[in-house]
Amino acid sequence: MVPANMLAKFSVGTMVMIHNVVKVSMFDYLLEMKGIGKQFGGVRALNGIDIKIKAGECIGLCGENGAGKSTLMKVLSAVYPYGSWEGEIIWEGQPLQAHSIRDTEAAGIVIIHQELMLVPELSVVENIFMGHELTLFGGRMNYAAMHQRAEQLLRELSIPEMNVALPIMHYGGGHQQLVEIAKALNKNAKLLILDEPSSSLTSSEIAVLLNLIRQLKAKGVACVYISHKLEEVAAICDTVVVIRDGEHIATTPMHALQLDRIIAQMVGREMATLYPKEEHVIGELVLEARNITCFDSDNPERKRVDNVSFSVRKGEILGIAGLVGAGRTELVSAVFGAYHGKSDGEVRLHGAVVDTSSPLKSIRQGLAMVPEDRKHHGIVADLDVGQNMTLAVLQQFSQYGKIDQGAELNVIRSEITKLGLKTASPRLPITSLSGGNQQKAVLSKMLLTQPKVLILDEPTRGVDVGAKVEIYKLIFTLVKQGVAIIMVSSELDEVLGIADRVLVMGEGKIRGNFINKLLTQEMVLAAAIGSGAVNQSANQTAAKPDIASINRNLA
Amino acid sequence: MITTTKMTTMVSGTSLKHLFSQYKMLALMLSIALIWIFFNWQTDGGFLTPRNLSNLLRQMSVTGILACGMALVIIGGEIDLSVGSLLGLLGGIAAVLNVSYPLPLALNLAVVLGCGLLFGLFNGFLTAYLRIPSFIVGLGGMLAYRGMLLGVTGGITIAPVSSGLVYLGQGYLPVQIGMLLGMVLMGLSVFLLWKKRSSNTHYGLPVAPLWRDGLRIVMIGGILFAFIRTLNDYEGIPLPVLLLLVLLGIFSYITTQTVFGRRIYAVGSNMEATRLSGVNVQSVKLWIFGLMGLMCALAGVVNTGRLAAGSPSAGTISELDAIAACFIGGTSMRGGSGTVHGALIGALVMASLDNGMSMLDVDTYWQMIVKGGILTLAVWVDVMTRSGRR
Repeated sequence: MVPANMLAKFSVGTMVMIHNVVKVSMFDYLLEMKGIGKQFGGVRALNGIDIKIKAGECIGLCGENGAGKSTLMKVLSAVYPYGSWEGEIIWEGQPLQAHSIRDTEAAGIVIIHQELMLVPELSVVENIFMGHELTLFGGRMNYAAMHQRAEQLLRELSIPEMNVALPIMHYGGGHQQLVEIAKALNKNAKLLILDEPSSSLTSSEIAVLLNLIRQLKAKGVACVYISHKLEEVAAICDTVVVIRDGEHIATTPMHALQLDRIIAQMVGREMATLYPKEEHVIGELVLEARNITCFDSDNPERKRVDNVSFSVRKGEILGIAGLVGAGRTELVSAVFGAYHGKSDGEVRLHGAVVDTSSPLKSIRQGLAMVPEDRKHHGIVADLDVGQNMTLAVLQQFSQYGKIDQGAELNVIRSEITKLGLKTASPRLPITSLSGGNQQKAVLSKMLLTQPKVLILDEPTRGVDVGAKVEIYKLIFTLVKQGVAIIMVSSELDEVLGIADRVLVMGEGKIRGNFINKLLTQEMVLAAAIGSGAVNQSANQTAAKPDIASINRNLA
Repeated sequence: MITTTKMTTMVSGTSLKHLFSQYKMLALMLSIALIWIFFNWQTDGGFLTPRNLSNLLRQMSVTGILACGMALVIIGGEIDLSVGSLLGLLGGIAAVLNVSYPLPLALNLAVVLGCGLLFGLFNGFLTAYLRIPSFIVGLGGMLAYRGMLLGVTGGITIAPVSSGLVYLGQGYLPVQIGMLLGMVLMGLSVFLLWKKRSSNTHYGLPVAPLWRDGLRIVMIGGILFAFIRTLNDYEGIPLPVLLLLVLLGIFSYITTQTVFGRRIYAVGSNMEATRLSGVNVQSVKLWIFGLMGLMCALAGVVNTGRLAAGSPSAGTISELDAIAACFIGGTSMRGGSGTVHGALIGALVMASLDNGMSMLDVDTYWQMIVKGGILTLAVWVDVMTRSGRR
């Protein structure tokens, strides 16, 4: 892993040369999708969608999870071959009847999926040329030519610090995303489809990404940008297309549009506010973590978290902000006993030192954690929705090891109602739910353990706007009941919208500890990047007395 | 609006999948019926006689006992290749204790079962706590346990074992007790069904209509009656088959009703998520292997009894039969899904092929080719029907 702050230093310069110059030609639109419709069984997923894209234009495609964005892009990239959907696609003035992704890539349509399609063990070069290798006689890899080409490509993208011979797993998510784009450009992409490209990137990495897209636009490459993060859409898109329930809702030029208007179009109603901040009382100290240090499992000399101490109070929402790689996940994992490498430190609950060396012990002490990676660490794919929810508390409904399935189902049903979890039956496979509802199931699993301290690591990642608001509401319900919440989040506006206090981490250390009042994104970001010492007391003069006392109590 | 469309997709999706999984069990039953009809036709009615069916079930009992344990191991996301050698070793120990040091049978059994549990726990410890891949632990065990067996027996067949031990492998339940057992089982299923109805009523859950439960009771009764009647027409229920039935009951109970069972599925499906949910995943794995070792001990004793001797080659490649039975019975190779009764039906398929082809005097090499082909075919069908999911 390359330290995230290295990435922050990158400045995207001008592209010296770009190989795939799109000629301005006779057709008005690079791509026209007309009346696209798609049916699965009896269910209509898309209904008469029209989209037009000019060369060098960036279209923002917005819609809630399940609105049909991915389906539409699968139609465009021929994951669903020509003939399996209705309508027509005109590409560079000609009808496009592609039967496979190979056909669309040959035409110049390249899709970059949310989950990156890179092989971690292979080098940067090998990943860039995957499937399009330059070869010598007899099928041998022409490494010399590929290295040269790859380095040239990365220079164009202003990422000179990358060693193209190194396995890609040594680089972080931000670099990997850029390599994916390089890979696409290497295929002579004229239209780049980016599906949630920023979901695992830090703010500075996102800035690099957006800059790159701007330059591609200038070179005539068109983009379809799919994102839940509307600020990004606003920053780079020329036109915004909103779809809902498979229907085309609106196509509006960006300059004529406001963010809340897009949200309203997406959800079909005016959202009162995204962050329903509610008053709650902050009580006594619950959890203190002292001198937490986490060592890198590959390189024991390196500290991922360096002697960090913090505390959280009853009914308090503590936000932990920072760039990816700052050590936030490692810190909360270590507190919960889930950190994989070696770690040091002491955790106190209500003043008494407690053993939190494994998740099992932590949960018994009243700690709970909703992990960052829902697919790999949150859900158990082969169990159904209900079984996932009760996994941590099976003993509560069992006697002599036998599960009382009636009692279990009762609890599951009441939880489903309480959290507004949308599932037709608790016996459905968990994988059939949307991301937001899966997250609610994971949350419910942890809530059933009745925690005093709940750690949420990126609780709204990959969750649509509607479910996000419900999760925020749930968080406020919990703090009102006296639960202490520790929320790690890469979305700054989320941290600022929800948290009572914000801890900013950078390079494994705490770089700032702010009361969330008059706090701005710029201040948090500045602290995270470490530009200048941040004097906490200086900008906290307006803090309420009770919160000021919390401040003094900080270790 | 959005949620209703989503839900319809989900419901139709699952009912289809549900149908598939039900259909899969049905397909297995159907293929067994076809195999039986084919062999019966080829042997001019020699296959479907009480005597042969009794033999067939006895033949499958060793593989079946192993398959019970192996199903848990595979559902838990692991594999155990050492069970064939371990079965041989434990059967050998039972024979040696019986012949060279005439221990009372009960003590002998206790020692062998204890050894089985310990060996299993040792395998589990290496896999779960020392994080050695179970494939390697199994491979090592396969060699080491076979070596121990050669050492214990001195490389020669240990015989003759006492009549008590032989009875365990070859004996039959007296006809009257068989009938009595049938009635007890019948009463038990009526009782369990009634208990489920009353518990559902208690928790306000939907209760199946009375006629359907009635029909179910009639069906269970019919199958039980036909089963016991057929076996009683020969000599009675063979003891190994009785043991297998008991194990089927116990393991089905473990996998569907207990906390431990639920955790086996969770660990096999996503170990990390399960660990983060506060489950001691290492101990779950440890005990899965412990149970497997116990099953090896039972299978070893039955095998020794069946052969009336402890043989240094006992149980060779029977681990592969057990694994094949699990896969034919629909256990997922990734772990996380599968059933014990499926694995036993898989074992029945394998045993039927063995038995039928032997009756037809098919060459051994053809038998192996056919069994290999059937295993591959069954897993292919399984992969095809699952492909919609992944």
